[in-house]
Amino acid sequence: MNPTVAAVAAALIAEDGTAPWAGRLRGLLDSLPAPARAGIRGAAHAIDVCAVARTGKRLGALDNAQRERLMAQLGASKALLPLLEAVKVPVLLAAGTERALHRPALPRRPAPDDPLLDLTPSRDWPSRSTADAVVIGSGAGGAIAARTLARAGLSVVVLEEGEHHSTASFGQRAPLDRFTDLYRDGGATIALGSPPLVLPVGRAVGGTTVVNSGTCYRTPDHVVARWRTRYGFAATEGFADALDEVERTLRVARQPTDVLGTNGHLALAGAAKLGWQAAPLRRNAPGCRGSCQCVVGCPSGAKQSVQLSVLPAACASGARIVTGARVRRVLTDPDRPGGPRAAGVVASRPDGSELEILSPVVVVAAGALQTPQLLRRSGLGGHPMLGRNLSVHPALSVAGRFGDPVADGRAVLQSVGVEELHSEGILIEATAAPPGMTSFVLPGVGRTLRRELESADHLATLGAMIADEPSGRVLGREHTLLRYDLSRRDASRLLRAQLAMGELLFAAGAEEVLTGVPHAPRARTPRELRELLRKVRARHLHVSAFHPTGTAAAGSAPESAPTDPAGHLRGIQGVLIADGSVLPSCPEVNPQVSIMAAALAITERWVARR
Amino acid sequence: MTARVTTFTETMLGRVRLADEDRDRPMRLDLVVRTESVLLPHRTTRARVTGRVRIAGRADDAEAVGELEISPLARRRIRYRISFTLDGRRLALDGWKSLTPARPVASMTVLPVTLYEDGEPVGEGRLRFPLTTGLAPFLASFRFPRATEGTGDLAPRWNGEPGRTEVWYTTLTDPATGTGIWLHHEVVAPTDGSRAYAHGWVARFPKDGPVEHARFGPVPWTGQGAGYTTDGILAQPGLLTGSAGPFAWELTETPQAPPLHTFPRWSWRRPLLPASQMLPAARCVYNGTLRHSEWGELRLEQAVGASARIYGHGNARRWAWLHADLGGGDVLEIVAAVSVRPGLNRLPPLVFLRLLHNGRTWPRRSERAAVGWAGLGRFRAELGLPEWRVTGRVGRRRVRVAVTQPPERTLALDYTDPDGSGAVCRNSETADAVVTLEKWRGRWRQEAEWRLSGTAHAEVGTR
Repeated sequence: MNPTVAAVAAALIAEDGTAPWAGRLRGLLDSLPAPARAGIRGAAHAIDVCAVARTGKRLGALDNAQRERLMAQLGASKALLPLLEAVKVPVLLAAGTERALHRPALPRRPAPDDPLLDLTPSRDWPSRSTADAVVIGSGAGGAIAARTLARAGLSVVVLEEGEHHSTASFGQRAPLDRFTDLYRDGGATIALGSPPLVLPVGRAVGGTTVVNSGTCYRTPDHVVARWRTRYGFAATEGFADALDEVERTLRVARQPTDVLGTNGHLALAGAAKLGWQAAPLRRNAPGCRGSCQCVVGCPSGAKQSVQLSVLPAACASGARIVTGARVRRVLTDPDRPGGPRAAGVVASRPDGSELEILSPVVVVAAGALQTPQLLRRSGLGGHPMLGRNLSVHPALSVAGRFGDPVADGRAVLQSVGVEELHSEGILIEATAAPPGMTSFVLPGVGRTLRRELESADHLATLGAMIADEPSGRVLGREHTLLRYDLSRRDASRLLRAQLAMGELLFAAGAEEVLTGVPHAPRARTPRELRELLRKVRARHLHVSAFHPTGTAAAGSAPESAPTDPAGHLRGIQGVLIADGSVLPSCPEVNPQVSIMAAALAITERWVARR
Repeated sequence: MTARVTTFTETMLGRVRLADEDRDRPMRLDLVVRTESVLLPHRTTRARVTGRVRIAGRADDAEAVGELEISPLARRRIRYRISFTLDGRRLALDGWKSLTPARPVASMTVLPVTLYEDGEPVGEGRLRFPLTTGLAPFLASFRFPRATEGTGDLAPRWNGEPGRTEVWYTTLTDPATGTGIWLHHEVVAPTDGSRAYAHGWVARFPKDGPVEHARFGPVPWTGQGAGYTTDGILAQPGLLTGSAGPFAWELTETPQAPPLHTFPRWSWRRPLLPASQMLPAARCVYNGTLRHSEWGELRLEQAVGASARIYGHGNARRWAWLHADLGGGDVLEIVAAVSVRPGLNRLPPLVFLRLLHNGRTWPRRSERAAVGWAGLGRFRAELGLPEWRVTGRVGRRRVRVAVTQPPERTLALDYTDPDGSGAVCRNSETADAVVTLEKWRGRWRQEAEWRLSGTAHAEVGTR
């Protein structure tokens, strides 16, 4: 690792840099996309320059007392806070997950055997092959599309860029190592804008469903009605049946309270005190053991990610999954009678060689961020709205410090939903991810930060996500390049959500509330919190985003919807869009069930009309 | 303008790994491609492929068939689908060149293929077009023949003129029993202007037994349909049915090779010669039955033979004919004839010889064999029975053909010309033949020799 980055990282949490997490930090930085890595290095060098300017020595040459004094000075400077934050996020992720390793281990049980999948690494797949249908992506949409087509008797090949990770492998590896494997760009996909958003997306057999929290909301009725009437998304007719089928497949049920965890119970208690509507979430994790590692792959196999629930059924019907195959292009036959038609796909293997599969039907389910880029690479990106209309759920976290330990055993990572403000577009969910793995960033630098980290088990964390206006764009053809400009309405919703979460934590008995805002980090009373947040603007917030949707939206208006009401890409025959990008607008809840139901409806309609 | 097609040959070399082995084997494709329309690079053109597939030590199938989808610009893809035999198993080769402007040469020459058996992959390989040795023969092989050849050649030619004869005849050999079969359908328009009539016969040549035959007709000729059509007797593209005396037959015909013009091609389009003969497909496969009221049914499966067409003024003064399927897609067709026309009848027999060998026809022009250079270097025939011979040389190649028609396997039939004169034809569909092909390399060296025992189809006609 770059010595400057190592010195800054060590100074940030007042360690000597010899802790084992330093190695993990190096692995994490290596997995980041080059611009993010350069940004972190640049920030570290800038901090080092400040050190030279103030002390005449580089950070690595200072003794502990000098270094601590310097960090306190830097931390007090409002102008330098963004630099410190830039380095702090990966350091917290590495150090936080390291600490999670040393938690009192839960009684280990052998990992269950996963249901059988027909997996072939791309290096073993022939360079030339054919299929009745190719599905690009094995996430929520791709899996259910593959199952539907395979059950209809088609020979289906699912192409997945990531690798397969078994439940047993999750139990054997450190969370951070899994993190870098399971997420695209090391989890640091960034949408440019003010504020910039971090938008983690999964990359593995099972897609983001491997690393989501398992929360399974049905699409709200008013959203379905809006999709059908305002946008003309005809595939949503009879959507309730599709939602039922998806819920049955994923074995969705309300999370029992036995392993809910203190974090969830505190959220319920706070909501009860305020008279707010709250309940344990509906999840796809029957028999959840409270490992609290949803975001790096469930080690107990309880969470019914699609590689455990949908893809085995697809494979049983004959579908085959090719791993490590990144689809470069959709092949098209432009001279077919009746207009251009999909002919198959070209995918690249990790060694750079290519494989081609000819197929008259191509189901694109590469995710809302990758689908527009893939279509552009294929010469199918001509529609002006392709890549636009990007909705994400901008999200932020607030933590409350409690007298008793919160992380004291089993817990569900995302346990309780507070729907009091849902009508205002704000959904609060108690989320107890390990430090660094949520959007919550602990305040302070140096010893302060270290103390926070050491007492992080007394923190309860809430997250809130905002039903946003589609204000983003997917740019480019190759590397993920996003632009997201938070709308004024959504900015005020974020601030409203932050205050609401603080109030909820105080109601639950928090001694203090950590806002996550660098220059206004903590409040001890609700009143103090309100005063504190009065000077906070949306651009100061550390905002994450999840659930990208809408970049190839379906709709009846040809000029505004790249995809037709039945989910077929306009301008070409034989291309179905079956992922989050087909949703016309923000689903307002965690979207896994919505995406799967939409993909199910689209592919079932296609099969019925075949 | 007459629609044309494109034909060319292509050779590809490479290596293949079969699923049941742990090492690569050399592989070679020698293909003869015939498109359905003129090959235009910016369009998608489909083509039929015949040729030879070799996998060192495992497969050598000279009768591989398949299809090509040629679309270098529109779809940027040239796809090969060929079925061939390996160790008695029927495999399908499927692969395509995927053209990209970024790597024009590599993408135009490299062909990754997958081998399938019953839809399951059983091998994977990578073939390459050898630019240094293959480009010149590849480019030189391009031909653009007319597309009307083929099934269209079965349509009736007679246009009402008196004094014409038109024939559809089919000869084939049952591989199971060695029985030869001859179906002859003929239309005669008498010279005196009386009504044209259709007649014909069917003959069976058992391997050892006596030859049987039965005539049908004559009936008035109406001249409608895609081939020979009279009451209950059809000789149409893909189908031969009818009954005559104790015989009844129902056969399907599947062309396996391009047309073959025994006489100069122009003489079929413009009937300037006394007669012209051609094969709509040089080689066909027949399936079906031949029934007889006494001895029952002969079931034919993958019987090999060919149908031929004759259109002209009548029979020759003397003639000999041979159709020999030499195996491996090779076919030899010979007509040696002396015309009845004054002047021409003083000439020695004109030999029209066509050898379809390794996908190419030799000699390239049939006039070369018949008349040579003003008589010099023409092919020579010694007509007689039971044996007749043909010899000839073109360039560095020469051929010797000896045909034997044993009397016990020969059927004598009377022919009638449009002018009422008669001829006698002695035909055997179970004849023997020895064909020797030699090439001059410092001395004459044998290039190939075929010995046909009871599978050659031959006849000799006299007056």
